[in-house]
Amino acid sequence: MTAETLLASLQLSIPELILAVGAMALLMIGVFAGEKSASTVTGLAVAVLIIAGLWLVLKTGEGEAYGGAFLSDPFAKFMKVLALIGSITAMVMTVGHARSAQIDRFEFPVLLVLATLGMLLMISANDLISLYLSLELQSLALYVVAAINRDSVRSTEAGLKYFVLGALSSGMLLYGMSLIYGFTGHTGFTQIAAALTAEGRSLGLIFGLVFVLAGLAFKISAVPFHMWTPDVYEGAPTPVTAFFAAAPKVAAMAILVRIVINAFEPVVADWQQIIVFISIASMLLGAFAAIGQKNIKRLMAYSSIGHMGYALVGLAAGSMAGVRGVLLYMLIYMVMTLGTFACILAMRRKEGENVENIDDLAGLSQTNPFMATVLTVLMFSLAGIPPMAGFFGKYFVFMAAIEAQLYALAIIGVLASVVGAYYYLRVIKVMWFDDAKGEFARTAGELKLVFGLSGLFVIGYVLIGGPLGSAAEAAARTFF
Amino acid sequence: MLSVFILAPFAGSLLAIFFPPDQRGATAWFAGAIALLCFLVAAGLYPFVTSGGVLRYDLAWLPELGLNFTLRMDGFAWLFTVLVTAIGVLVVLYARYYMAAEDPVPRFLALFLAFMGSMLGVVLSGNLILLAVFWELTSIVSFLLIGYWHHNAHARDGARMALTMTGTGGLCMLVGLLLMGRIVGSYDLDVVLTSGDLIRNSPLYMPVLILILLGALTKSAQFPFHFWLPHAMSAPTPVSAYLHSATMVKAGVFLLARLWPVMAGTEAWFWTVGLAGLSTLLLGAYFAIFQQDLKGLLAYSTISHLGLITVLLSLGSPLAAVAAVFHIVNHATFKASLFMAAGIIDHETGTRDMRKLGGLIRYMPGTAVLAMVASAAMAGVPLLNGFISKEMFFAEAIETHQANILDTMTPYGATLAGMFAVTYSLRFIHSVFYGKAPEDLPKVPHEPPRWMRAPIEFLVLACLVVGIIPAITIGPFLHTAVVAILGASTPQYSLAVWHGWNLPLIMSFVALAGGVGLYFLMRNYLATSIEGPPIFRLLHGQRIFERVLVTLSWKWARSLEQRLGTRRLQPQMRFLVFIAIAAAALPLLLSHYEMPPLLVRSIDPAFALLWAVGIACAIGAALLAKFHRLAALVLLGGAGLTTCLTFVWLSAPDLAVTQLLVEIVTTVLILLGLRWLPKRIEDTQESELLSLQVRFRRLRDFLLAITAGGGVALIAYTMMTRPLPETIASYFLERAYKEGGGTNVVNVILVDFRGFDTLGEIGVLAIVALTVFALLLRFRPQADSLEAPEQQRVQNAFDDDHPDRNEGDSVAEYLFVPSVIMRWMFPVIGMLAAYLFLRGHDLPGGGFAAGIAMSIGFILQYMSGGTRWVEERLRIHPLRWMSIGLLVAAATGIGSWLFGYPFLTSHAQYATLPIVGKFPLASALFFDLGVFSLVLGATVLILIALAHQSIRAPRAHARAMRSGKEAS
Repeated sequence: MTAETLLASLQLSIPELILAVGAMALLMIGVFAGEKSASTVTGLAVAVLIIAGLWLVLKTGEGEAYGGAFLSDPFAKFMKVLALIGSITAMVMTVGHARSAQIDRFEFPVLLVLATLGMLLMISANDLISLYLSLELQSLALYVVAAINRDSVRSTEAGLKYFVLGALSSGMLLYGMSLIYGFTGHTGFTQIAAALTAEGRSLGLIFGLVFVLAGLAFKISAVPFHMWTPDVYEGAPTPVTAFFAAAPKVAAMAILVRIVINAFEPVVADWQQIIVFISIASMLLGAFAAIGQKNIKRLMAYSSIGHMGYALVGLAAGSMAGVRGVLLYMLIYMVMTLGTFACILAMRRKEGENVENIDDLAGLSQTNPFMATVLTVLMFSLAGIPPMAGFFGKYFVFMAAIEAQLYALAIIGVLASVVGAYYYLRVIKVMWFDDAKGEFARTAGELKLVFGLSGLFVIGYVLIGGPLGSAAEAAARTFF
Repeated sequence: MLSVFILAPFAGSLLAIFFPPDQRGATAWFAGAIALLCFLVAAGLYPFVTSGGVLRYDLAWLPELGLNFTLRMDGFAWLFTVLVTAIGVLVVLYARYYMAAEDPVPRFLALFLAFMGSMLGVVLSGNLILLAVFWELTSIVSFLLIGYWHHNAHARDGARMALTMTGTGGLCMLVGLLLMGRIVGSYDLDVVLTSGDLIRNSPLYMPVLILILLGALTKSAQFPFHFWLPHAMSAPTPVSAYLHSATMVKAGVFLLARLWPVMAGTEAWFWTVGLAGLSTLLLGAYFAIFQQDLKGLLAYSTISHLGLITVLLSLGSPLAAVAAVFHIVNHATFKASLFMAAGIIDHETGTRDMRKLGGLIRYMPGTAVLAMVASAAMAGVPLLNGFISKEMFFAEAIETHQANILDTMTPYGATLAGMFAVTYSLRFIHSVFYGKAPEDLPKVPHEPPRWMRAPIEFLVLACLVVGIIPAITIGPFLHTAVVAILGASTPQYSLAVWHGWNLPLIMSFVALAGGVGLYFLMRNYLATSIEGPPIFRLLHGQRIFERVLVTLSWKWARSLEQRLGTRRLQPQMRFLVFIAIAAAALPLLLSHYEMPPLLVRSIDPAFALLWAVGIACAIGAALLAKFHRLAALVLLGGAGLTTCLTFVWLSAPDLAVTQLLVEIVTTVLILLGLRWLPKRIEDTQESELLSLQVRFRRLRDFLLAITAGGGVALIAYTMMTRPLPETIASYFLERAYKEGGGTNVVNVILVDFRGFDTLGEIGVLAIVALTVFALLLRFRPQADSLEAPEQQRVQNAFDDDHPDRNEGDSVAEYLFVPSVIMRWMFPVIGMLAAYLFLRGHDLPGGGFAAGIAMSIGFILQYMSGGTRWVEERLRIHPLRWMSIGLLVAAATGIGSWLFGYPFLTSHAQYATLPIVGKFPLASALFFDLGVFSLVLGATVLILIALAHQSIRAPRAHARAMRSGKEAS
């Protein structure tokens, strides 16, 4: 690698470099300033993320870097912006809760920055090796983050479970990758696609494909690799769960899209079946299993499983419209989820304890009408009822499925969303129709800001949908 | 101009929220003004829609998706717009007086306006998707309106049921509309309306029909989805008057009429729509007779009338469509007024129970007269509007449309339903206004305020005027609407009261007479009976609905989750492995896998034996892992050794050496770690006593393991029998000596070709060692493993028993011979390491191997001499070894810069030392030295960290705990 290509590569990955250097610098600051520096480090971490995001939007060009292992294209940019927004928002939401959730350690923001770095690299990965490394960077940071509250049995259990199952799925992913490499002789996505076009598919490759998809399905918590999600969502401290629910999903979905559309484009019929199966299973499980939940974090876990299923409907279509649908779905999903988690974080009794049962929301419409309204809007949106943003997310993916003649998939999807609507409505019913049990403490400003903006987005999507749609379309065009 | 219909109500709704709650009048004025504005605009637009004119308003929204914000007003939409806005004005006026002072009226009116906007959106949408959006919006807002009095449990249930039903139906309809758009290729209503043949002939026609009907029938409360409407009656009466007479429930029939030109006329349409309509018509009317609640009666009558409209639309003849549109208007007029009258009665007497009411004509004669006229219109009495559309219905029912049994039955069903309608209308009037005066009413009945009655007066007047001179009053408007639906096929029809003596008239009279007779027959029964029709009341739609809902969604979901979901890690992992196996097996089974032929070359018996031992060791390790860790570890070492020997056998001595050394070091380190784990889990049960469940579980796990292992082996086998893809191995083989100056390719790769990677790797190794050290530094063993091992305890006890012995003597004696040997071994091992190191460039060995070998020497010292003994004599700090190693390696790399080469370029030649002889001296050797130093340092550091655990006093542990508590 000559100096010029190295320089060009570095230039394309400046946002990632900012995060990497930033994380190390923050770690140093934390180490030397001691435990008390947690809030300073958090603030600086947010700043680092914002700088990286600005650089990404304003300065970063497009092209290949590091010998084709890293790719900067409109798709990557779109997803990276989403992931950064998700991380920043989640980190802002932790500010007021760090102490009560016992995550006020300076390592916490550093780990989040590292996880975000992993996500960005993953979104840009154009090679099995860089995919695996970035995925692990993200995952390892998340394993630690899930167990960050060492004094809580639930949190450590969640972290351990996540680690063990995650390691298993990483193993599968790696195994699949080695099979793919063995049968095509390449690790680069482009070369794999070329080899597949030239030589056709072989059984070993299908094995590899299955295992790779299994490993990635774990990361987006799609059925049947969803087992960890409810436990980890419930066990991890709520700010951590908020982080888990948003940005990592975006990144994992991005790499899933890239790998099937880019590398496995020649064997579309094979992966389409798998994606359709995963999608249907996720939608149904997400819909039915959520009904019985009493804990709102667990509910959101199942809800996220279901939503990943809907997003995969778009991917199953395998078309430009489908990918655009996935992009918009992830955008809308992320905003809704962050808003909802901001509300969940605001569920704190005046005595200072955090509550997380759905019944604790009873009578919210009387005690805190603003939050009740926002949460209602978010729930309607999550249920996919027009004219909220969630409806459009579903609309785009179902449209793509219908255009790809996957009628059964679309119809099952709609039925699942009907069932899903039921439990979202239950939350609304509890808020508006049940008698209040007690009031929540005053909501912190940053949470109000987050859920307010999220609610505004969900309602106002009707108006801003056009530009967002064209942005997603431009991003989706990368592949077609 | 059309956007006013959407913007004004929604903007008004937003503003209305900000009115103070006690400003009933002002808010009502405001809302009324908005409704009136919409009405006036609609009226002003009339000239543009006559004779098939269409107004359009387009706003590019997401044009590339075929999603435009298109509003479209033709005659039919115009008629509906006028209906929605006009009745809206009247209902606002009514609500001003109806709502109590303590009700939050601004919230009500905000929702009301939002509803009006949504409803206008449904009516005016020029795009199928937009229509679905507004459709769902009406469901949501109506949910909030029905549940307005949320302190009332019944209202909450009703609201939820209404939303569940109509929302679900709406989503089904959305899919139907999407499919329809797919058939047509556009979502634009204008395009859709001209593609009738395309839709009817499409193979997707059936699914489209069913899905859209699901939407329309749930919204219009048609059988079997009718039961939500009576429960929605717990809404405030203005809501019922608006939503459940004129607007929301009409959305369903609106859609049917809207799509009538493109979907009607097929047999499937006739049967599905007709059957639903006819059963609704009859059942609704029949149920209405037996209601005791005034609004319940009206609700069922609404259901029945909607059924009538549905039947008309099902027939597929243009004349029937005309009648349907006409009846939509008529029904809205008289039913809205009746709801308002019922509201007044409820408001002024405090009850809606017909068993308690009676003789009210004496207290509120004005209201009584109005209600009587309206209900006469509902019954279809001549000279009122209901009569005319009902006549048209009868006339159409007689006509033969399709030769089947349903068509034959229609006239009889119609007459019967007409009879029932007369009965319940009569009952409404008779039991409320006549008979003996009411007793113990919650309030003293009296006439309502002047302006509360005004809306009813207006509507009743409309009933009368339309009923007497239809052709002049409603005629042109109706024609405009009908032309918009039917276009060129608009039939000739005459709106008149008198058509001469004909069959429909006779049917009317039969219905009237029969209805009156029926009422007087049942009067006494009805006056005292309980709510609901006989027999049928046992079949509570609501109860069934709830039970189904609960079973489906709650019980099944929960049991499913309990069965399939688990919070335990082991089942989760088992599931994951199982899924992986299944996922891998599926393509295998589907694609007729053929094993590549097994090539048996001469297998050496010794090698086979070696592998048999290795496999036995591996299985043994897995078996014992839970029960006896030490044994498992030893067996694991055996398996590792087999691997090493295999490498030797297959001519890879370099790998073998490295593997062997790594094997030894890791085993020893794990051994040291084992000290702090419980020694073994006692298997309390004898194997005979194992329960069946345990046996089954073990068998299952065993099979799972066999399958997974077999599968992996199979894949590996397939992989290895394939021709190798082009690899880079030959590249390195060719260039190792030429460019790297060494014949040990692995080592040349490590220190030369991939020297940069190695530098990174040793950096990582250093970090790992530091991390292990840092982690173990704070490690405190669990209390239950603090105790000294059994053997040490026995030995110490022995020492204690003998006064001439010091503690520890036994151990020293015990280990005397081994420790001497081990100490002597140290220089030998050092020599070996040096040997491995120096020959590394050409032959198996190298810095890594040498470093590991040297650390084995240290491990032996620790084992023989004990921690204290070693550390007293340890002169060099491992951290220094590590840092020096890293620096040397980096310096070698940088050194090549001095000679103008890229980083880490190496130079190779041979040198001769006395005694040692000739050995390869590449500049890479210094790099290798760095590797050696670092590996040695890292291993020793980890060793120290582990070893220190044994000398850390438990007391320190306790003290740390205490101080930790005090600090916190």
